[in-house]
Amino acid sequence: MKKNLAGLIYTGEKTDRLRELTVMRSLAALPVLGRYRLIDFLLSNMVNSGIKNVGIILQSNYNSLLDQIGSGREWDLHGKRSGMTLLPPFATTDSSNSYAGLLDALKSNMNFLRRNEERYIAVSESSFLYSLHYEDMLKFHLDNNADITLAYTKDRDARRHGSGRYLGLDDAGVVTHIEVDPSLPRYGNTYIGVFLMRRELLIDMVDRATSQGLHHFTREMLVKSLAQGYTKIMGYELDSKPFYIDTVEAYYKANMAALEPEIRKSFFTPERPVWTKLRDEMPTQYSGESKVNNSLVADGCIIEGEVEDSVIFRGVTVREGAKIKGCIVMQDSIIAKGAQIENCILDKQTTVRENAKLSATPGYPFVIPKNLTI
Amino acid sequence: MLQKKQCVAMLLAGGQGSRLGILTRHTAKPAIPFGGKYRIIDFPVSNCTNSGIDVVGVLTQYRPLELNAYIGSGTPWDLDKNTGGIFVLPPYSTGKDGEWYKGTANSIYQNMTFIDQYNPDYVLVLSGDHIYKMDYSEMLAYHIEQEATATIAVRQVPWEETHRFGIMNTDANGVITEFEEKPANAKSNNASMGVYVFTWEKLRSHLIADENDPNSNNDFGRNIIPNMLSQNEKLVAYTFDGYWMDVGTIDSLWEANMDLLKDPPPINLHDRKWRIYARNVGRPPGYVGEKAKISNSLVAEGSDVNGVVENSVLSGGVVVEEGAEIYDSVLMPGAKVCSGAVLNRAIVGENSVIEADAVIGEKDAEIAVIGNNTVIPQGHKVAPGVQEGK
Repeated sequence: MKKNLAGLIYTGEKTDRLRELTVMRSLAALPVLGRYRLIDFLLSNMVNSGIKNVGIILQSNYNSLLDQIGSGREWDLHGKRSGMTLLPPFATTDSSNSYAGLLDALKSNMNFLRRNEERYIAVSESSFLYSLHYEDMLKFHLDNNADITLAYTKDRDARRHGSGRYLGLDDAGVVTHIEVDPSLPRYGNTYIGVFLMRRELLIDMVDRATSQGLHHFTREMLVKSLAQGYTKIMGYELDSKPFYIDTVEAYYKANMAALEPEIRKSFFTPERPVWTKLRDEMPTQYSGESKVNNSLVADGCIIEGEVEDSVIFRGVTVREGAKIKGCIVMQDSIIAKGAQIENCILDKQTTVRENAKLSATPGYPFVIPKNLTI
Repeated sequence: MLQKKQCVAMLLAGGQGSRLGILTRHTAKPAIPFGGKYRIIDFPVSNCTNSGIDVVGVLTQYRPLELNAYIGSGTPWDLDKNTGGIFVLPPYSTGKDGEWYKGTANSIYQNMTFIDQYNPDYVLVLSGDHIYKMDYSEMLAYHIEQEATATIAVRQVPWEETHRFGIMNTDANGVITEFEEKPANAKSNNASMGVYVFTWEKLRSHLIADENDPNSNNDFGRNIIPNMLSQNEKLVAYTFDGYWMDVGTIDSLWEANMDLLKDPPPINLHDRKWRIYARNVGRPPGYVGEKAKISNSLVAEGSDVNGVVENSVLSGGVVVEEGAEIYDSVLMPGAKVCSGAVLNRAIVGENSVIEADAVIGEKDAEIAVIGNNTVIPQGHKVAPGVQEGK
């Protein structure tokens, strides 16, 4: 069946506050929830909603992102009539190869927008981990005769002082105000960086906005069009809790939240699987002495020690007598005998030597960068 | 004519596997789940991929639906190639004489045109019910070096078990002098593994001769191999000393699963140079709950474990409620064990539910088997050795 909705994912977010985690990778390539990268959720949301045409705007340090998505096959995005289009930075006469914001990126990728045949397009930034049914959002958009529909959440954990975008809504759900990075948000509706609109309208708006010298989609273009009063912008409330991944602490909390059954259920339903790059690992081996409680454990691990309240990625080894509590341990890390780590984030391929001890507080987890040996 | 291939693999996957009882009532044996995330067929097919063989014909006959769907376009094994791939070959009608596969040799005979397309020098014949990791390219090299008509992979089995196998008697150079099917008093303990390399040209003419023999069973072990021997063709034995398990019975299927729990396991599935590939089902990481107690077990992704699990293999999507106890058992994908249920030496089929306080099997007793999509009601007892379900 032909679909009338295309997708576009923007991965050019600035990520300074994620420190070591995003030095070598873009935010969308950040490993999350035991066996995924953030992009897996963004893509799976789209393909599970019947979107068959997805563009991915790349910005910088996109090696690990490209490695993850490959040909798009895992998401069934390797078709002939449709599929995935990778949109690396493209230097034009009026832009260098670094996008100042989403609007810049859209302007540079007008060809993608023009070439598609779908009537509508859903655009997602990559600063939120969320679950969204775009087909429902499109229906909402059409039912409300909206020009633009913005997805938002009322969840308090998504609110920040001094950053984020917040929507003022009237009783009918029409967006009346947009606040960008307020020191104290006036509205409780956090925009999650996902919008949907008619493709031709987006092309038109981007054209006009860039000719006026604007660079930022929300901060400048949306705020401006709202002030002019020509466009009907609707707010679409998410029915599950999204996670704003803007700091190390927020990243840590999002992963830990997945230990709660309700949150897990909101991300993982059998009818809408989250697809990811395969590793062909065997199931995880638990030894006779292992003790694992309240944890997520992906395939390919060898668990001999104790693991509590943690998220363990694929291929992790936890040796005898090692104790892990409140940790995120990424792919292929090794925790040697007798080591004890608490409230830490171990990036990929880190090694914690025998009897090493490392402890932080949950409010300020310690990050051990990729490939490091402690 | 397609691009020439040195060697084409033909996988015999048509048997019912009736010794697996209820587990193969609705599905072909090669499609049976194994080891938490695999199906039996993943082993020979992954071996092909890892051995550099990129044309695999899968001969299906009995209840092929699940197997066909599982194989799909061959993507999981990197067999979705322009110049090769994996092909499901069911019996087909050829005008007036279309028919079912009469035997293993006949199934290859009926697909000679498939093989001829690739103009191969050699054909590798495999079975779809064995768990092992084997580099077929080494066996092929041996076959070429020996200039043999057929090379048969053998492994040494305990003498007291020789009566269960096809036994190859060889001379000092490994040339096969005699083949005995399940001998009462074996002269050697070299048992055939059901893995053969044939020089295609020779096999081709033997298949045609065999087809023209009205008294033949059209079977490799009973007809083709003895006929080759009687016609003085050179048949050699190729000794394989790695792990190999025929999982054609309930006991051996259970045992092979339990082998994965040994320390160290006799077959290493962690080997990054020899991965066993399987179809992706997109399940989230496994969750291990507050009250869970898992020891010496394999637990796959998509599982949700809250009870006691000991010496067991839990496949993707398995749910174990708090208060459930599972010992020495194999749970296939999507099985659910409710609170208070106790499993001992059990195999539970796909998507089956063991309701609260049910008791399945016993310690140190025969294996109890629950079929696929079966609900065992609350408090119900399934005795050891019993098979229950659809």
